[in-house]
Amino acid sequence: MRTKFYIPILVTFLALILLPIRCKDIDFTEKLTPQTPLSIDANAGTWKPIVLTSNNQISVAVPTDVTSDTYKAELASIKDLQSKLTSAQRKAIEYWSGGGILRWNQIFRELVARYNLPPAPNADGSYPAPDAENPFSDPQFPFSNPPYAARAYSYVSAAQYDALKAAWFYKYQYNRSAPYKVDNTIQALMPQTDLPAYPSEEAVMSGAASDMLKALFPAALEEITRKAGEQRNAALWAGKATASDIAAGLALGKAVAALFIARAGNDGMKNAIGNKAQWDALKLNATSRGDVAWISLDLPSRPPMLPFFSNVKAWMMTPKNIVDVRPAAPPLATSSEMANEAAEVKYYSDNLTRERIAIVHKWADGVGTYTPPGHWNDIAAEYIRDARYSEVRAARAFALLNVALHDAAVACWDTKYFYFNLRPTQLDPSIKTGTGIPNFPSYVSGHSSFSASAANVLSYLFPGSAAEFSAMAEEAAMSRLYGAIHFRKDCMVGLDLGKRVGDYTVTFATSDGAN
Amino acid sequence: MKRFIYSFIISIASINAYSQTLTDGLLMPKKDLCVGFLYTHDQWENYWEGGLKRDNQNIGTITTQSMTFVANYGLSNKLNIIAMLPYVKTQSSSGTLAGMKDVQDLSVAAKYRILAKDFAASGFRAFAIGSFSTPLTNYTPDFLPLSIGLASTNLSGRLTANYHLNQGWYVNTSGAYTWRSNVKIDRPSYFSDGQLYFSDQVKMYDTFDFVINTGYYKNGLQADLYYSQQNTLGGGDIRRQDMPFVSNRMNFSKVGALLMYYLPKPKNLAVRASFSYTIAGRNVGQSTTVMGGLLYTLHFSKTNNVPNP
Repeated sequence: MRTKFYIPILVTFLALILLPIRCKDIDFTEKLTPQTPLSIDANAGTWKPIVLTSNNQISVAVPTDVTSDTYKAELASIKDLQSKLTSAQRKAIEYWSGGGILRWNQIFRELVARYNLPPAPNADGSYPAPDAENPFSDPQFPFSNPPYAARAYSYVSAAQYDALKAAWFYKYQYNRSAPYKVDNTIQALMPQTDLPAYPSEEAVMSGAASDMLKALFPAALEEITRKAGEQRNAALWAGKATASDIAAGLALGKAVAALFIARAGNDGMKNAIGNKAQWDALKLNATSRGDVAWISLDLPSRPPMLPFFSNVKAWMMTPKNIVDVRPAAPPLATSSEMANEAAEVKYYSDNLTRERIAIVHKWADGVGTYTPPGHWNDIAAEYIRDARYSEVRAARAFALLNVALHDAAVACWDTKYFYFNLRPTQLDPSIKTGTGIPNFPSYVSGHSSFSASAANVLSYLFPGSAAEFSAMAEEAAMSRLYGAIHFRKDCMVGLDLGKRVGDYTVTFATSDGAN
Repeated sequence: MKRFIYSFIISIASINAYSQTLTDGLLMPKKDLCVGFLYTHDQWENYWEGGLKRDNQNIGTITTQSMTFVANYGLSNKLNIIAMLPYVKTQSSSGTLAGMKDVQDLSVAAKYRILAKDFAASGFRAFAIGSFSTPLTNYTPDFLPLSIGLASTNLSGRLTANYHLNQGWYVNTSGAYTWRSNVKIDRPSYFSDGQLYFSDQVKMYDTFDFVINTGYYKNGLQADLYYSQQNTLGGGDIRRQDMPFVSNRMNFSKVGALLMYYLPKPKNLAVRASFSYTIAGRNVGQSTTVMGGLLYTLHFSKTNNVPNP
């Protein structure tokens, strides 16, 4: 009789003991294992640059000969370092063996997520502005919202890409082999290739990425500098580059970054926020057409997000191109067409099923995330990894993707603020949403524009997966309707706009010499 | 003399669907079954964003209502099996975010008396309680503060000690460690605790809670005052102006009062009401919670008058 009582107790306590044994820790990094590229793309020094006038615009000094004493001393230093590698150093080598470009892409997605927080309101209902001169304060600088992020991803990716093409140019001009090829007592702790080592591609990447990132995310200076230094050290410890390979690479990377930073200083971003008088004047963009002007649905009411981002310089499009692709006006808020659109949004608001919530949240990429452009980098990273690209070709893929995403941001913001129309909830306050309503006008959907431009470029790069990319872009677009924050028309026209923006990048890519 | 339990202190606390139960010093007698429904109304306007207390006009006041079915069966005079199942509905008073509603987590617990010592005018009891809870529906935990729960599967180990005077006064304390499973969210990455995670799996840190209470219990009347505290043993803070996240370090301290009374008629029917207020917290709302419900006891045993455990 007694024993019967003990059975449930026993079962419960056994379960209590067993549960913690089950591993709770999750693997949160994208899997990047060391691998040899399928091709080293020896001709990448001839590929078309994006900002540089030519791949040898920045000069790189002739390296010392491998027979010189200076070089031999560098080799001896590597051997010495390799004889006493710590486990932390080996970990760093393994980490960067996963691909420098892929790693940097992860790093800047993380930076975007960290800084993607809007300022909190002041007690009087106004909002402080993030201040580049005071990036550590509250609000932190930057607020890496989707346009800011699209621009940031594009600058870092394009700077790395141009810097690597320049590096490839000099690698084959000087043809100085990797330390592990010159001296067979030096171990190759990263996958071996026949790529010349001078200037070091790891150093080029680290220099271009870190200087560019420090300009974009000044408060993350310490972390960025540490990562960049670690990448260069990993190349040295791995027997892949000598101190002079690295010094030349770092100088080249930084020089290329300086050109991009100069461009960024004059690309119109400074004036993208505007001021109160300009924000008030935007209402005319809607009311002059007889439409209802957008109002912020944030509480307290927040100034519009980067209303003059439309004037920021695009990469593959001229200001005229941006105007040319601008879609026709949305239906007026008072029209029966808009009433139908709103009724459909209301339906999704009232019928937020679990399946649709999953789609809404999968693509929401709102506050505190790496944004929709980051999501497309996340998607692209897996394809780029699996394609086993060389560093320069991986850089090309991310650069093409991100210049298209930036241009989509410019064109989409141009449309949004040109029409300045309202969100579904402004038209019908009973429309509740499955995710936060972004603080800018409705037409056209940013997610749709971003996604279609990205899908277009990725379909060019990975034609075998074109159908997948299209399906993802459509799902991302529809997620905004399901979440009741966009009209269907915003999504459909946004997809079309994104596709057309992406075409400009694809046109560039077809003739850049990399095919 | 009425036999009943007062173990159902259900509290859908702030943004954490936290159900605290099994913290008292009593048991149902063998073959008694107590069933009931408890309605809970929880509301907060201020919340703690990490350590910073604030309000947020984009959500206004968050109201969480739940209706919980509860059942407690006396498997023996020493062992009770307890089950709970709430239906939860959330809403915000301001802003545009949609509220959510669904059946939440099923909890099943076994409460076993490990020690009973009687003195001339008082008694001491100790209990070990193991409980298990798991979501019965596929609700999303990634829409805080409007998610209906955190969606982890939990196992708890609890110890309770109770000292009472035969005239009805008692003091009681209880503490539990809860192991929580990882949860899965609908997105492929998330930023938490200073780190971007490229995963849809979220590690949920375990929790520890304890309660100290004192009161009077005799002749079908119970009046109880309590202090409770729950700490999450890890996890990040809500960042400035960010949304809350499922694995935030959610801590809170509450004070509360509970009343229960077995009506003279109809026989075996008890009314129960409680009130609690969050006095301190981290990454949770400052909740005011009221609860009210009815419990009915069924006696399946012929010998009705089992001694008070």
